[in-house]
Amino acid sequence: MKLRSIDVYIDWPVTIKLKNLRKFIISILERKGDVIRWSIVDIEDSIDSYGMKKLKINAVLAN
Amino acid sequence: MEISPTIFIVPTGIACEIGGFAGDALPTAKLLASASGCLITHPNVMNGGNLSEKDQNIFYVEGYSLDRLAKGEIALQRVKEQKIGIIFDSAIESEILVRHLQVADACVSTLGINVHSYVVTKKPLNVVIDSDSSKISSGIIENPETLIDAGKCLIEKGVTAIAIVAKFPDDSDSLETNIYREGKGVDPISGVEAVISHLISKFLKVPCAHAPALDPIELNVNLDPRAAAEEIGYTFLPSVLIGLSNAPNIVELPNVNGLISLHPNQIESIVVPNGALGGEAVLAGIEKGLNIISVKNQNILSVTNEFYDYPNLFEVNNYLEAAGIIIAIRRGINLNSIRRPLKKIEKCFYDD
Repeated sequence: MKLRSIDVYIDWPVTIKLKNLRKFIISILERKGDVIRWSIVDIEDSIDSYGMKKLKINAVLAN
Repeated sequence: MEISPTIFIVPTGIACEIGGFAGDALPTAKLLASASGCLITHPNVMNGGNLSEKDQNIFYVEGYSLDRLAKGEIALQRVKEQKIGIIFDSAIESEILVRHLQVADACVSTLGINVHSYVVTKKPLNVVIDSDSSKISSGIIENPETLIDAGKCLIEKGVTAIAIVAKFPDDSDSLETNIYREGKGVDPISGVEAVISHLISKFLKVPCAHAPALDPIELNVNLDPRAAAEEIGYTFLPSVLIGLSNAPNIVELPNVNGLISLHPNQIESIVVPNGALGGEAVLAGIEKGLNIISVKNQNILSVTNEFYDYPNLFEVNNYLEAAGIIIAIRRGINLNSIRRPLKKIEKCFYDD
């Protein structure tokens, strides 16, 4: 098992409700490895017209 | 009066003004425990190097397990005592190891804690710190499996809770360390500490907490009082052993034997620093519609409710206000009844 600490950038579309955000993020992180630790460390409103937000996630993953 | 179980989070490694140092959120935890009657919090809040305290209204739960509690995956079972085992990183020098063993003996002889045994890892954990004072504390260990193997060894010997002591690089003269000691920056090692304890919680599912093994450091006359608890003695182990001594058991759900003291469905509120709403426990709490009490506690993050617009969120200026809100929730007092101006009740109309 190897650990790595990474920053992951995720688009949060308006179709994903706040109450589903955690599972949405986990589903993306789990494609990259076994999740040991994560949190959203930054959010920005996108400049496009779709209301999308951009998330910066700091995560420690195991592979 | 009924209790109002509340989770209290001060994320590690984000330079919180309160709780970003050495157990300096412990008095706040005691306040919130008194207000709620039942507080669930994590080692970063309670561990002050050599200083800590037990409180019958506080459940001491490692961060990974705390997240699982918030998600509804586990419950907690109160215990009178844990049988503690200690994992020592084999990279720890022999003299520092002896210091830690003497601290463990002292906790048995003076505090009556059941410290059962210890094990040294087969390989060094090899801590790698990835941090600077402008971003959150993070990092990894290069040999996670040797940590997990050591934990399995202790559990096979009958241990029910695990303290981990890892050797950290000697960076006592580093800019980050000195900034932290003077109360201005991120605790540079706390991110890796969280990773170490998360690994034990994830793979072994027992109460656990971590204390770093550091070389003695030079006197700093500009030391911030909030970091002072880490200047007492040679180790940070006592607070970990005190916390673990009666930390609750982790009960996987669904559970049929009924030995549960706190079920996740009982939790009513989460108290968290403003700007730190991006953690898994908070997002899990939002899924369940819990009260989120967001407290002004300066830190380096800016994940606020501006991006969520979550209706059950209370923004308050300090933890004294947070305690007041918890008491109101506990007593079933409508918060609007205490605020002014007071609106008239609304008339409802039928949809059709």
